[in-house]
Amino acid sequence: MKSLIYTLFIASALIFLGACSGGTDETSQAGAADADILKNTPKGQASVVDNESAPNILQVAIGSPDHTTLVAAVQAAEIEHVLVNAGPLTVFAPTNAAFEKLPAGTVENLLKPENKQQLATILTRHAAPGSYAIDDLKKEARKGRKLYMATGDYLDVTVEGDDVYINGIKVLASIQTSNGIINVIDEVILPKSE
Amino acid sequence: MIIGALLLLALFVFPLWNITLEAPQYPDPLGMNIWINKITDQEPNDIKNINLMNHYVGMKEIPEHMPEFDIFPKVIIAMSVMGIIIGFVGRRGLYVTWFVVMSILGAAGMYDFYLWEYEYGHNLNENAAIKFLDDQGNPLDYQPPLFGTEVILNFIARSYPSTGAYFLFSGMMLSLVAFYVDKKEEQKNEIT
Amino acid sequence: MKFFNYLLLFAVVGAVSLTSCNTGSSKKGNQGALGGNLAERVYVAPGEHDEFYAFISGGFNGQLAVYGLPSGRLFKVIPVFSVDAEKAYGFNEETKPMLNTSYGFIPWGDLHHPDISQTNGKLDGRWVFVNENNTPRIARVDLTTFETEEIIEIPNSAGNHSSSYVTDNTEYVIAGTRFAVPVPQRDMPINEYKGNFKGALSFLKVDPETGEMNIAFQIMMPGFDYDKAHPGRGKSHGWFFYTTYNTEEAHTLLEVNASQRDKDFVAAVNWKKAEEYIKEGKFETMKTNYAHNIYDEETHSAKTIWEKEVKILDPSKLPGLVYFMPMPKSPHGCDVDPSGEYIVGSGKLSANVTVHSFTKMLEAIKNEKFAGDAYGIPILNFEDVLAGTVVQPGLGPLHTEFDGKGNAYTTFFISSEVVKWKLGTWEVVDRKPTYYSVGHLMIPGGNSQAPFGKYLVAMNKITKDRYLPTGPEVTQSAQLYDITGEKMELLLDFPTVGEPHYAAGIPADLVAPNSKKYYKLEENKHPYATLSEKDTKVVRDGNTVHVYMTMIRSHFAPDNIEGIKVGDKVYFHVTNLEQDYDVPHGISMIGANTSEMLIMPGQTETFVWDATAEGVWPFYCTDFCSALHQEMQGYVRVSPKGSDVPLKWSLDDE
Repeated sequence: MKSLIYTLFIASALIFLGACSGGTDETSQAGAADADILKNTPKGQASVVDNESAPNILQVAIGSPDHTTLVAAVQAAEIEHVLVNAGPLTVFAPTNAAFEKLPAGTVENLLKPENKQQLATILTRHAAPGSYAIDDLKKEARKGRKLYMATGDYLDVTVEGDDVYINGIKVLASIQTSNGIINVIDEVILPKSE
Repeated sequence: MIIGALLLLALFVFPLWNITLEAPQYPDPLGMNIWINKITDQEPNDIKNINLMNHYVGMKEIPEHMPEFDIFPKVIIAMSVMGIIIGFVGRRGLYVTWFVVMSILGAAGMYDFYLWEYEYGHNLNENAAIKFLDDQGNPLDYQPPLFGTEVILNFIARSYPSTGAYFLFSGMMLSLVAFYVDKKEEQKNEIT
Repeated sequence: MKFFNYLLLFAVVGAVSLTSCNTGSSKKGNQGALGGNLAERVYVAPGEHDEFYAFISGGFNGQLAVYGLPSGRLFKVIPVFSVDAEKAYGFNEETKPMLNTSYGFIPWGDLHHPDISQTNGKLDGRWVFVNENNTPRIARVDLTTFETEEIIEIPNSAGNHSSSYVTDNTEYVIAGTRFAVPVPQRDMPINEYKGNFKGALSFLKVDPETGEMNIAFQIMMPGFDYDKAHPGRGKSHGWFFYTTYNTEEAHTLLEVNASQRDKDFVAAVNWKKAEEYIKEGKFETMKTNYAHNIYDEETHSAKTIWEKEVKILDPSKLPGLVYFMPMPKSPHGCDVDPSGEYIVGSGKLSANVTVHSFTKMLEAIKNEKFAGDAYGIPILNFEDVLAGTVVQPGLGPLHTEFDGKGNAYTTFFISSEVVKWKLGTWEVVDRKPTYYSVGHLMIPGGNSQAPFGKYLVAMNKITKDRYLPTGPEVTQSAQLYDITGEKMELLLDFPTVGEPHYAAGIPADLVAPNSKKYYKLEENKHPYATLSEKDTKVVRDGNTVHVYMTMIRSHFAPDNIEGIKVGDKVYFHVTNLEQDYDVPHGISMIGANTSEMLIMPGQTETFVWDATAEGVWPFYCTDFCSALHQEMQGYVRVSPKGSDVPLKWSLDDE
């Protein structure tokens, strides 16, 4: 009995070893494991699994059915890590409807790999260092300050009645996340044509 | 012959013998140089550290002074002076005599050294903290080798002649060379 | 039962092989065909030595840790600004003065930036200088003993962040003020900050033989925040550059209010000019009070000297001393390339990395082309000094180091990566993620004229899931990259003690041969040293008792002490009589209201013990020193107050 188990044991170990050397074989490069890694590229802070802490900007966005286009764009631009950073960060998050307002084909075009950099710049223009919920934005407007964005652009902050507008785009709601604020907007912020 | 005799005096400048102890804790071995008139550290504090190690097994401290330290220098000076005189006298027979006397004295010195090593390695303090027994159940001894390398517990002990000893040997050899050269000269003279 | 054991073993082996399988192939996926030998490239075989020392600051732990590269192995934690119970630093009588300040004894500090001394712009491996941010101080760590030898307090300063960098020949080590304050300090409303607060930049002269520091002069700047600094190198030797933020001079909610301006400044300070002004007597002497603590290797003791004045230079009245170069958006990192030509400023809120030219700066100064002035200090035109811009390399640029081969490496906090770019063409060559949120980076010699461009260490602020979890607080870490190729390669993650804030690296062969093995007994000048067992004694002076004690394998002398009385203050002055490498002894005593002592061979240290209760109280060796370490112990007999038990001490009843 004993010797049988030993034999089994050794045999199985050999099989596993065999599998190993097969894994490093050149021909199996495009195996299942590699495909898995490609999916997570670039691996980083965005890949941290944490279902306990308060959700961060990226996690909240992923969970919102109104922001699937934005999330797809963030992933295409590979800037997920920016949205999970310690921050604090304020993201103006255009809804799916906002993206649909753009000329036909714009989004599809931007999602192409060759336009990655352009897409990243457009999205980065939606992020501001610091925490600015609606009430904070009202204070900025009162003090006559502009909002400095991560791309180096400045956005105008104005108040009409109870509403706050950035570059004329109405802020619909503010959501507090673990690493900053999401302000929902229904238009994409484009550079002012000068 | 005179040069040979003079080489003996190098023993005042160079150590005669060297013993080192290497162990995992001492990758740079502890070492001591034995002179005809003293024992010194190879590196500063080596003897202090050898004593510290050895006191656990009850060995005595390495003496700062031994009677030999008084006798050896006198013997060496006497032999050196004698050798020089013999050299000037230039009698071949005396060369050999000097060599023989020096050899006997050397052997006696080595024997004396052995006796001291035996005493040092065997005469242990009965209250020693650590006592090791050999296979027969007798107390282990820690005598360093007279010549060569030996493993004593965790130490590798190496005992080899040092610079001074080589001068001594060369000196003695030169006296023999002087003897043969002299002999050859004489044979040559006889032939012509 | 046995059968199940086998099954278990079977399963474990299976799992292990599977796991190793996965790692094998995933490495391949990440690193390409060359990635397979990563382990070999950081592996230092047992008994072998690392190629580099890395002195990595502990940030908020106030200490400096010594690691080996490429292995990432930790060798020593050198206490500098924080007490260390392990080494009795700040606990024994000898080192307590090291932590004296004008605010009293301070047991903690925030250690940020190590910098190694230099000769001719090259690392010379004599000392490491480090700064304390919270209670402004600069310390000098000696690289023969790896101990803190000197700490000098910086007066008129607060948030000593833009330090402690050294000039090409270690002429000066510098300190700078991050939080502008009233100078001299006084009671005034906070909102009157603007125009009234000042930022002092301090220049500490370093004695070329002993390394001893003294504050040569302070330049009293406008009340901006002086964030980081870098000396000029080679052609710009004689200058020092500081990044500033809050040139808005805001006093509240700086997060917003100090981020209003498009550009802040890099202050260019001509310290050779400052030396001339000092020589000409164009300074004011200001009365002040600050601690200067020096540890003497021969007395094994520190003493505090109270310094009473400092020389002040006023840049608004002294032309040619300081110029401002505009730099975008609250620049943080200020780094000068090995040639001394390029000054790299990283606006942490800027999307670009801006590089200024030293040559252009001199030209603009010569032509007196100024855009205006701030508090009488000329401001140069941004375009006149601009050398180039690295466009959108990442988000949140912080610090830059150099490899000596024409490349610069900048860290990006927000996008969590290191970006390699070319000096002169400003093009991005490579980028690699860090795990996560990198702060400083370090290339051995990477801030000097002669970098050793083999490895790069990135120091991360956050690790999240990179290591086994240890509750809410997880380990801090550094990451090692190979930078010999065109592309950087991540070789190793290794945990660090404290926050790895910044680091200095140096080839081991410039330091290791000088490392001391033990202190010579004949050089021990400690006033309470006992150099042999026959000199041991116990001396009473009123209620104070001095024990002159020795330690050697494996006993204390004396190990029996009688005649101590309740209420006595007993000073144990303990000398380690060993003269052998790596044979420290320790000592502590039941109820001692202090740390243990860890006493190096040839050293004397002192701890105080209050005799509070009658009895016979043991003491023992706290460092496993030898085969009979457990036997290294002794007793102190404490008798009632007023008893007539005579003072007596002995070893082996002799």
